[in-house]
Amino acid sequence: MLILTRKLGEKINIGDDITVTLLEIKGTQVKLGIQAPKSIGIHRNEIYEKIREENLRSSNVTDSDLSKAAALCEPFALRE
Amino acid sequence: MKLKIKTTRFGTISIKKEKTIDMPFGMLGFPDKKKFIILQHRENSPFFWYQSVDDPTLAFVITSPFLFKPDYKIDLEDALKEMSWNGDGKTDHLEIYIVVNIPKGLPEKMTGNFIGPILINNKVRQAVQIVISNSPYIHNFPLLSV
Repeated sequence: MLILTRKLGEKINIGDDITVTLLEIKGTQVKLGIQAPKSIGIHRNEIYEKIREENLRSSNVTDSDLSKAAALCEPFALRE
Repeated sequence: MKLKIKTTRFGTISIKKEKTIDMPFGMLGFPDKKKFIILQHRENSPFFWYQSVDDPTLAFVITSPFLFKPDYKIDLEDALKEMSWNGDGKTDHLEIYIVVNIPKGLPEKMTGNFIGPILINNKVRQAVQIVISNSPYIHNFPLLSV
């Protein structure tokens, strides 16, 4: 891992299109400003990981479990 | 024009080409699978399979969030910008689904991911999975309150 030290207001460039600016330091929190093309997803890691994991789990659901789940939802389906 | 799509769960299915949905950025964790179709699970089921066109083995379970959380509300502005779907402010061509997870053998423990919804634009047949931060929602909301 590349480790860089930056002062408040200083920037880091990643490739030609991405700039990260250190905007604020408050106690244990730092605020970063990130400029990047919109095709690049920028996410808080903990949220990104949760969604990734839920996607992966969902892709492993079996048809038999889904049919049982659907049966449990029957009142829902009828109400629609 | 009809497409023949191979799937491990449903065999080979034939579907109209315009029924496919493009995901330029893919699903989170599956960035290289960019084409999907929606298949109704079965009659009276609230679920759908979000089947990859590129990978026969890959299908996610999805459902409408509003069925389980009628007041579900998210800010679409960033996603619309990201996808360059800035239109006339109309949203009736947009559809939202959430990804469903069922732990093996425990259908009653099914959950929905309300912070990673899939937004589908039916006009351009494109979709994007949105990352929702700073919301009251969670990634594993129980769909049955038993």
